[in-house]
Amino acid sequence: MSLFHFSIRIKSSRLCLLNIKVYFCFALAICLLGIKAEVRANDRYEIVINTGVSEKALSVNSLRSIFSMHLKTWSDGTKIRVFVFSDDDQLHQNFSKEKLNVFPYQLRSTWDRLVYSGTGQAPIKVNSTEEMLTKVATTPGAIGYLWRADINEKVNVLEIK
Amino acid sequence: MKKLTCSRLSSQFLGAFPGIARRWVLLFCVSCFSAYAQESVQVQKQIESIKSPVKWLQTSELPTEATESASTKEKPGLVSTAVNWFRRTDLPADLQIHGFASQAYITTSDNDVFGNSDNGGSFGLTESGLNASVRPLPRVLLSAQVLSRRAGEGNTGMPRLDFGFLDYRIYSHEANQFGIRVGRLKNPFGFYNDTRDVPFTRPSIMLPQSIYFDRVRNISLSGDSVQLYGEAAVSNWGTVSTQFGVFLPIVSDKDTELALIGALQPGHLQRDVSYIGRGIFETNDKRLRLGVSGIWLNTSYDPSNRLGDLIGPGTLLQAGALQFSPVYFSAQYNAERWTLTSEYAIRHFKYNNNFNVKPLDGLDFFGESYYFQGEYRFTPKWVGLLRYDALFTDRSDRDGSHWAALNPTARNGLEHSRFAKDITVGLRWNATPQFMLRAEYHYVNGTGWLSRLDNPTAEGPLSQHWDLYAIQASYRF
Repeated sequence: MSLFHFSIRIKSSRLCLLNIKVYFCFALAICLLGIKAEVRANDRYEIVINTGVSEKALSVNSLRSIFSMHLKTWSDGTKIRVFVFSDDDQLHQNFSKEKLNVFPYQLRSTWDRLVYSGTGQAPIKVNSTEEMLTKVATTPGAIGYLWRADINEKVNVLEIK
Repeated sequence: MKKLTCSRLSSQFLGAFPGIARRWVLLFCVSCFSAYAQESVQVQKQIESIKSPVKWLQTSELPTEATESASTKEKPGLVSTAVNWFRRTDLPADLQIHGFASQAYITTSDNDVFGNSDNGGSFGLTESGLNASVRPLPRVLLSAQVLSRRAGEGNTGMPRLDFGFLDYRIYSHEANQFGIRVGRLKNPFGFYNDTRDVPFTRPSIMLPQSIYFDRVRNISLSGDSVQLYGEAAVSNWGTVSTQFGVFLPIVSDKDTELALIGALQPGHLQRDVSYIGRGIFETNDKRLRLGVSGIWLNTSYDPSNRLGDLIGPGTLLQAGALQFSPVYFSAQYNAERWTLTSEYAIRHFKYNNNFNVKPLDGLDFFGESYYFQGEYRFTPKWVGLLRYDALFTDRSDRDGSHWAALNPTARNGLEHSRFAKDITVGLRWNATPQFMLRAEYHYVNGTGWLSRLDNPTAEGPLSQHWDLYAIQASYRF
């Protein structure tokens, strides 16, 4: 009688374990979904500024505030002009995730909120590396980012503290 | 033996939950864990993950798009050429021009939403807008937007000034900002109100109606106001941004009157001084966003020179005042692939005793609304949506039975107009950064947020249970 009882219990506990296994597989699958691919390493690009900008280094918070389009002037009171690549550009994605620690879609929704409520402006989109270089070199107060290989002496590199 | 007791305990413990509840709890743990896992992902791990077996899920879009240069994607066309010209030309004073246009097709099983939607569907929802902003001085921003919205009887599509104001930045240092705005401003409440007419900024074609009523949209949309705003860094956690404004609400449209004082009246609602405020805390990585907003809206009915007109059988509506003071709590969690959003509102309505109409005089009740929403980005281009949205016109009378019992002859069978519970499933496709298509399905129990203008009593009674299907195409620049 008691043996019978035991066997039932063992069976039910096995079923339960099986259930848990299924859940764990499910959990693992969901976790893996969240992990994304990254192609290039962190240190192959730099934040570049117009040579007329007096700042040489910035805090991460200030940088995030600039690219969120909230901080609009340099410390000397001149306008900041922000240049970015399109949302799906690899460098833009790396820059936003690694330097700002923000997903590109979040930047986009932050900019949209500003533009369509009138409380701010969007950054200026450039379509190529050459355009980024020219724009940052020629626009007063400009800030952008470039692969290290594309940087020349016409722009300054900004250090992030 | 010990082992056995253990397994028995565990099976009993798990058995204590009903099956579904157990599944949800586990799912919750899983999602918490995956959120944690995502946060701690390092670059090295990401490189490893390329070899992971779930590569199929990343689809071809992500890697190919990343390598494709942006210039090759520019398709020549009249609009994009014009936009490109405009982008490349250096405009004075940092002038920026943006706009959008959108068309939806809506069909319902019963009841009308934005046109005659229950009879073969309608193209009744058209939204478009054009805005411009300039920075003549580093601290000064001027911006304005003209909006046209054609949506059922309530909005004819007549262009109107949506916002137009001057923004002066008084103080600015790193993440700390302080400034003032004067003019016609969007009312800051909840996560979506400021940009609710721009399809790209909303999660769905129809925003959760319990909080973002389309029926009384104009009253809550924008107002002529003076607003102070500030942004402050909270140690290394994040930033708090606050807005506080004094405004005159826009209450002149028929839909608002109908919603607030019942039947169409010969007089008009007056614009009385009202207040609005919002605070949003956002972590530095923008993953967690928490907000509180409140409105203190005052309006009064002015029968003007037609005081004493007959409205309905033997009813005289006199000059009365009402206060509408909702408070909103908002929370959002953003991970790379999913976003969870929830908002809760408690809405206080208070009418004074001067309307001289029994159903309005001395009315004082609390409405309640909330929704839970999940968005999942399968790829950056494909986004899925699931939402549960609930509205109770009077939170102490959730099924409307008490309200109906007050006047059984007129209200019997209309209990469902006092609540609405909406389950929404949707899919969005961002075809290009400028062009978006989406579709959604709503299953609605209740008619609490339906427009009375679109559903006049002459068309017969409303159905309590109904379905809504909608598709939308949207373009922006």
